[in-house]
Amino acid sequence: MDLSPFQQSDMSIGQRLWQINWSFVLLLGVTASVGFGMLYSAANGSFDPWASRQMIRFSAGVLLMLVVAVIDIHVWLRYAYAFYVVSLALLVVVEFSGSIGMGAQRWIDLGVFTIQPSELMKISIILLLARYFYASRLEDVGRISHVFLPVVLLAIPAVLVLRQPDLGTTILLVATGMVMLFLAGVRIWVFVVGAVATIGAVIPLWKFVLLDYQKQRLLTFIDPEKDPLGAGYHILQSKIALGSGGLFGKGFLEGSQSHLSFLPEKQTDFIFTMLAEEFGLVGGMALIGLYLLLFIYAFAISLRCRSQFGRLMGMGVSTSFFLNVFVNIAMVMGVVPVVGMPLPLISYGGTAMLSLMFSFGLLLCVYVHRDVQIGPGAADGN
Amino acid sequence: MNFERLRHPFSPPESNVSVKETASEIPTHIKFEGIRRQALEIGRNRLLVTGALFTLAFAVVAGRLVELAVVEQAGEEARSSRIAATSKMRKVRSDITDRNGILLATSLPTASLYANPQHILDPKEAARKLARVFPNMDRSKIQAKLAAKKTFVWLQRNLTPKTQFSVNALGIPGLYFQRTERRVYPHGRIVAHALGLTNIDGQGLSGIEGYFDKSLRGTDEPIALSLDIRVQSILREELLKSMAEFRAIGAAGVVMDATNGEVQAMISLPDFNPNKPVTAAGIAGFNRVTKGVYEMGSTFKLFTAAMALDSGVARLRDRYDATKPIKISRFKISDYHAKNRWLSVPEIIVYSSNIGAAKMALEVGTAGQKKYLKRFGMLKPAAIELPEIGSPLTPDHWREINTMTISYGHGIAVSPIQLVAGVAALVNGGVLYNPRMIKFSNDQKAVGSKVLSKATSKKMRGLMRLVVRNGTGRNADVPGYLIGGKTGTADKPGPRGGYGSRRVISSFVAAFPMDKPRYVILALLDEPKGTQRTHGYATGGWVAAPVVARVVKRMASLLGLKPSQRTEKLPKPGDDLFIAARATIR
Repeated sequence: MDLSPFQQSDMSIGQRLWQINWSFVLLLGVTASVGFGMLYSAANGSFDPWASRQMIRFSAGVLLMLVVAVIDIHVWLRYAYAFYVVSLALLVVVEFSGSIGMGAQRWIDLGVFTIQPSELMKISIILLLARYFYASRLEDVGRISHVFLPVVLLAIPAVLVLRQPDLGTTILLVATGMVMLFLAGVRIWVFVVGAVATIGAVIPLWKFVLLDYQKQRLLTFIDPEKDPLGAGYHILQSKIALGSGGLFGKGFLEGSQSHLSFLPEKQTDFIFTMLAEEFGLVGGMALIGLYLLLFIYAFAISLRCRSQFGRLMGMGVSTSFFLNVFVNIAMVMGVVPVVGMPLPLISYGGTAMLSLMFSFGLLLCVYVHRDVQIGPGAADGN
Repeated sequence: MNFERLRHPFSPPESNVSVKETASEIPTHIKFEGIRRQALEIGRNRLLVTGALFTLAFAVVAGRLVELAVVEQAGEEARSSRIAATSKMRKVRSDITDRNGILLATSLPTASLYANPQHILDPKEAARKLARVFPNMDRSKIQAKLAAKKTFVWLQRNLTPKTQFSVNALGIPGLYFQRTERRVYPHGRIVAHALGLTNIDGQGLSGIEGYFDKSLRGTDEPIALSLDIRVQSILREELLKSMAEFRAIGAAGVVMDATNGEVQAMISLPDFNPNKPVTAAGIAGFNRVTKGVYEMGSTFKLFTAAMALDSGVARLRDRYDATKPIKISRFKISDYHAKNRWLSVPEIIVYSSNIGAAKMALEVGTAGQKKYLKRFGMLKPAAIELPEIGSPLTPDHWREINTMTISYGHGIAVSPIQLVAGVAALVNGGVLYNPRMIKFSNDQKAVGSKVLSKATSKKMRGLMRLVVRNGTGRNADVPGYLIGGKTGTADKPGPRGGYGSRRVISSFVAAFPMDKPRYVILALLDEPKGTQRTHGYATGGWVAAPVVARVVKRMASLLGLKPSQRTEKLPKPGDDLFIAARATIR
């Protein structure tokens, strides 16, 4: 291959570090700091038990992100399938021997710490699809037979995660995969056929796969007031809290809905509600603005990348991040059903934070290697 | 130009573009240029579409946040100010609560719609509009009302605020609203007969609503009943269970404080939903506890034993000849659990011997029996604060045969509440308190009349405990609560008088704990039928005693009554209360 020196990935570690998009990292830090503040407030003005640990995790996450970013992008390309296979194996393990937390079987206990294979899978799917399509030729992507394999590879982990049961992550996996297929150039009619088939599949899914509590959540979403003390409690309390915040909020540490524990899960899934109660519409808008800015950055990085692999990976990360933010915020405001999804960078949670920072690491890696050309044989070590 | 990038563009735009291209062939430069541009364009388009959609989604979420924070907040304020305004309004009829302040009856302000037909311009048009707001009302009927030559017609009572708003929105002149109240019973059927009903104008008709109609309208202070909603609902549940199991046509139950006469629970089944007065029609509206009078059967033997012991004609150890049935003219008195031997007083009670009871009563005499029954409150209607009071049925000519049948509870019919009050006097040291529905305030003290000596009362407690330990009431035993009681299984007279139709009233009257009785409980089932589990029996011991046991178990833990840890002192051979071990009957 006769690539020009500028397009080769022969930068030193120092050069790569220099190449990192540091303003994006700063933006991440600002957003995460908002999270620390909210966790401090959720514990009624105390760093213990949430804010302090979240800070440690974020620091570890930043480190992880930088490491991922400076690794040669060819490495990610080369080991993308292996990464997927390992994640899938872990998912299967959790299916049979995972420990159960909050009524769902999601964790693998490694003694020192626990990992959540579904979080790993979120990254693996992005790598897998980017790897699969990066060298696809024009006519290949157009063929249904070429699309069949990635759809299957996407469906297997989705079903496993759904069985855990974790509806939120399932939706995230499938939606991210769909968007990546769309960006990779899969024909529109394939999506139309897929949508029709999905509707056909929803009926047996509703009957046999969805658990009662999941059905309940979907049903009360349509009419939460129907069951204000039971299944609709979350949404209703959340909406009351959001409404009571008003324009400027009740002030830091003053959110009565949150601090008097009317609001459930205020340190995880419903943290946005707490923010909007304490800082009002202005605070909520500011955070949405921050997220939008992060998304635009991620989007621009993907757009700027010259290799198909990098572009797909960047868009995968952006999409996953966007869906995470959107579903969580829309969920606490009653726009979509409560599916159990944390707010990225803000919600308390270790695995989610690390996997998110890992994916941002990939995004930065794309940025660092934005001008690198990746040939069709690159995945095999050429 | 870099061909590499051509091999993996974002997307082929259309299927026909790349048909002829294969990897091995090197295509011409110009052709690639066209495909490439198009491919890149499509790829970029898709990226932009995705980005735009995501940004749009952010906008949707932001918009929703504005809606929740600003728009709905305004609605919230308006709503809370409305609530504040109504709560200041004085109620026409005050609330009724249970002994712990739990709301049993309250009034909600509503609006009722009436019309002055003289002011209605176009009855037909008005009726058409109104029929849309009230789908359950007939249009022609509304029209007839509106066209009447009157100045006042009711159209619809107790409108919800929403309907009231809709009617106002119609803008029909001649329609007016009257501020009214709607009586609401939050506990529904659980307290039906005791509370009673009001009519549509808010006047009390029955129950507490009827009895205290004037005072309920006079004050703002709620009336606190002696009922405990928790005990009430337990008693109801257990009676319903038993009624269902034994296919009884009705049931009644009372829990009374033995030390002051406060009724803590009063259940009559079938019952009705006071929020839907139509359900109170017929037998459902009938309060069996106070209005119904029944021949109580063997539970009356307690009174017979008490009067015999108290007047001194019998001691516990005295024996009576029960070897064969008594025959008087055409009557024959025989025993259900016949022993065919001489029985002591405890044995008469424990085996529920009619013959023994009759012989005891004969020794007390007709005049003595009458005197004592009067003292126990059996001969005059119960004095309880309810309008529905049944008068006891007593013999017109009180002859010796009447004395004998009354000794075991036939030939006299009393209401369940009378029985409970009487039994309370037997066990509480001999003081008869009027049963009452109103809770004593802290400075009030119950006043009763002394009807028995303390010594007799103590003996009665021993006898009643014996029934549960060794006799017909063993199904009522709950370890640690020292329940004592007496079963009753009375034949019901047929529609034309006379007995023998095998229809019975089965009951169990109990008190606990027997070392210092606090509560008297009655469970009564009307026409229960035996089941396979009870070997076909539908006697008080089988159908009513278990109800008492279950009620005691549940209410004791609820009211914080701890089970007694002491081992019960059992009568030994030679004691007055000793009964041979083979006394195992049901």
